[in-house]
Amino acid sequence: MTTFLVAMHELRRQWVQPFVWILAAVLLALMAWQFLLAVGAYLQISPRLGAMPNAPGVTDLVAIPLLRSLATVLLVVIPLLTMRSFAGERREHSLVLLLAAGIGDARIVLGKFLASWATVLVMTVLVSSLPFSLRMGTAIDTGQLFAALFGLALYAAAVTAIGIASSAFTVQPALAAALAFVVSAFLGIIDLGARLEGVDRSAINYLALTTHFDPFLRGIVSSIDVIYFALLTGVALFVATLRVAALRRIA
Amino acid sequence: MGVVTRERHVKRYRAIACFPETEHATSLHMSPSTLLVASHVGYQLRERRLVDDIDLTVSRGEVLGLLGVNGAGKTTTLRMIAGVLTPTSGTIRIDGADLSQQPQMARRRIGYLPERPPLHDELSVAEYLAFCARLRGIRRDTVETAVVDALESCDLTEHRRRLIGSLSQGFRQRVGIAQAVVHQPDLVVLDEPAAGLDPVQALALRELINELGKTRAVILSTHLLNDVTACCDRIAILHHGRLRYASRLDALASRDVQRIAVGRDLAMVDWLALPEVVAAEPAPGRHWRVQLSPNADLAAFASAIVTRGWGMSELRPDHTALEAIFLDIALSPARDEAA
Repeated sequence: MTTFLVAMHELRRQWVQPFVWILAAVLLALMAWQFLLAVGAYLQISPRLGAMPNAPGVTDLVAIPLLRSLATVLLVVIPLLTMRSFAGERREHSLVLLLAAGIGDARIVLGKFLASWATVLVMTVLVSSLPFSLRMGTAIDTGQLFAALFGLALYAAAVTAIGIASSAFTVQPALAAALAFVVSAFLGIIDLGARLEGVDRSAINYLALTTHFDPFLRGIVSSIDVIYFALLTGVALFVATLRVAALRRIA
Repeated sequence: MGVVTRERHVKRYRAIACFPETEHATSLHMSPSTLLVASHVGYQLRERRLVDDIDLTVSRGEVLGLLGVNGAGKTTTLRMIAGVLTPTSGTIRIDGADLSQQPQMARRRIGYLPERPPLHDELSVAEYLAFCARLRGIRRDTVETAVVDALESCDLTEHRRRLIGSLSQGFRQRVGIAQAVVHQPDLVVLDEPAAGLDPVQALALRELINELGKTRAVILSTHLLNDVTACCDRIAILHHGRLRYASRLDALASRDVQRIAVGRDLAMVDWLALPEVVAAEPAPGRHWRVQLSPNADLAAFASAIVTRGWGMSELRPDHTALEAIFLDIALSPARDEAA
């Protein structure tokens, strides 16, 4: 209950400020522009696709690339959203309100995480309305699209949790955003070297975000991928909780 | 004021008030109404002891003034009492509940105003206070009443819809106080609450603290001695992280001098002619600081002055004793340094 209270309060604080609205507007504009370019390109090549056997459809050529692109952009957007969660509060000396309130550190972290994640999900839903709008003119693979959105939600949860943890480690919001971006991006490309060498099933591949996100984009929901994102989110939130507990020991 | 001048000031007042040497931390005086018991509380950051072996008790219906110069350890002590900072030694109990063992239950019984009020500038005053109330466990159906009470007690009703970010420093401080009392806590911890308040607001704050002190336990950290004499029942003076003095304020005043305003020019011998008087010293503006003998009858003393037709217009306990003790401690080196 307290977690929900903190989450709702954080959500309200985010949305009464122009920053989130501007971020959402810029993200939506960027994605809409990319969507229109993709639709235009698809319309150009669609006559040729019709002649090909097992040709990729509009879902593969427009919707999924858009969501893949969204995942990349979220690596920048989410750290900007989460950077103030703890760092901003510490800088403004307002974190003490939560620390003195008699709620557990885990609840504070979870509340802030849920608020930021909810904001990211709202942005994701807004962007996903673009590929779903294609249903007005053509048939799309909704199953694959929902699988991709589910994967995107899990991916966003993991990156948000990393952002929350990063924010707990510094009093500078900009530094928190940079740290969250670096950690998330590193997890995204950690297996790049291995993949360039043609290795795609080694241990390092299993650590990478992309290894577990790509199956969702193909419409495959695998429990191992769900567990990976849940584990990554859990570990990041646990680290954040430890850090908040440590703040109680620093004068 | 230079150090030498201040030392003279202390010596002068000590001479007339016959102060005992600085008392050290008193033993814990507990009664059934004792709410806070801080026992051997300390905080060490790496090699530095910021707070060392402090014992404090506060009862319901009592206001404790925590005094000390900047860096004395007041804020660190209050942060530990409020549950924001974990002590490295000792225990803090709120009504028997150990703050480290039952942190959530104990913290909800505390209202804490830190040095800088923890405000959310983007919210209105009422929204913010409603969140604070819910956060401290006030039920949804009684939140509105709690907020209205807090707004009224801090004279913020007219500003309830204003964004906190648009408020002046004084009003922000009042919102900070309102968040500390919105859930009707048993223990109210106020760290420099008068900071940024104008004289009228400071007066209203004193009234609020006095009101709170009637039913609750209040700890007030300040370096304004006027606030202490106006609000506090007891004082505790910290210096270099240690509790150097603790006393009831009335005990401090009763053994000290009376401050008397008279309408005539008097000499010291006039005062010494009165049987109750042990020593007397002129103060500016036909005021005298007069020390009475330990068992002197104050009424008889006042009657004697009136009988002599000295035109007495004021007779009150003189709290310069507190100032002298405070300065005495503030000018003393830390024990480690002294050793």
